[in-house]
Amino acid sequence: MAVDSEAVRLRRGDPEVLVSLLERYQHRLYRFLMRMVHDPATAEDLFQQTWLRVAENARRYDPSRPLEPWLFSIARNAAIDYLRRVRPESLDETLPSGDAKIDMIAGAQPSAVDVMMGQQRSSRLADALGELTPMYCEVVTLRFEEEMKLDEIAEVLEIPLSTVKTRLRRALDALRGKLEHRLPGGELPGWGPQ
Amino acid sequence: MNEHERIREQMSLAAAGALDASEERELSQHLASCADCNAEFEGWRELGAGLRRLPTPQAPAALVERTRAALVAITIERREQRSTQRTMVWLILFAWTTILATWPVLKLISSGAASALDLNFVQTWHVLIGITIFGWVAAGAAAVFLGLRHRQERRLA
Repeated sequence: MAVDSEAVRLRRGDPEVLVSLLERYQHRLYRFLMRMVHDPATAEDLFQQTWLRVAENARRYDPSRPLEPWLFSIARNAAIDYLRRVRPESLDETLPSGDAKIDMIAGAQPSAVDVMMGQQRSSRLADALGELTPMYCEVVTLRFEEEMKLDEIAEVLEIPLSTVKTRLRRALDALRGKLEHRLPGGELPGWGPQ
Repeated sequence: MNEHERIREQMSLAAAGALDASEERELSQHLASCADCNAEFEGWRELGAGLRRLPTPQAPAALVERTRAALVAITIERREQRSTQRTMVWLILFAWTTILATWPVLKLISSGAASALDLNFVQTWHVLIGITIFGWVAAGAAAVFLGLRHRQERRLA
């Protein structure tokens, strides 16, 4: 009920609702944009553009539909517009790994073993994820980091559910291939708790 | 494609929690009886767990503050624009209504209600129709001009 009333207020362009959404989704949208463009300065520009587009399109939001896919589709469109304009080849080809240093927080409370072993693995995994094309990267991050359902991902990407599954499978195959390629023995290391 | 290959194709989606119930059941049954596939799936599960635990880049506080200020400014501006547009529409409607209202008033002032069929009054009607059309076109042109100017101001802002 609270979400419905928030949606209606959003349609009216209530600044309080927009600010409350900004506070709630700031890190998730920024993370998504970072995964898409791999550059903090660009992600910041796109973050602002995304929220301005949210404000501009608030009246067109359909309150009967879930809010998250709508927000992420706006962020995704901003990122795709940018990539088409600046790096059109990146939409088809593999990106180099980004070396940008940015502030990070752990996704979950790490154990002592995670602290020892996890950082290097996470770094390798993040690098490999950064090498995926935006088309694969977005589907992986929406599923694993944003924990969206497949039908929500389909809504964000504006593709059929079956295509989401195909794209997710190919993305994970490519990711695993890149990880194995980076390792001396060509074997996937243990990523889970030791 | 044999059973092992078919099952291995499903493993990445299983790690993503994207299999339906029957596919999930089939995978579990196969893994319970196949050590090789089980070992392969372990790698996928660990990859999935690693992806879920990736560090989250934090949106810088200054960026969030700038965005908050921009959001508040843009919503206030939008409200003012909508209010101006509403006022403009009402003013145009009022102008058109006023022009129309002058007809019966002029008719009464000029020669009374009985002169409606008078030849001279028919000529007056033509004049009034001309004035009305001119008034409507002028108001419409003013609205278009104001709209274009408003758009130009927004582009420059």
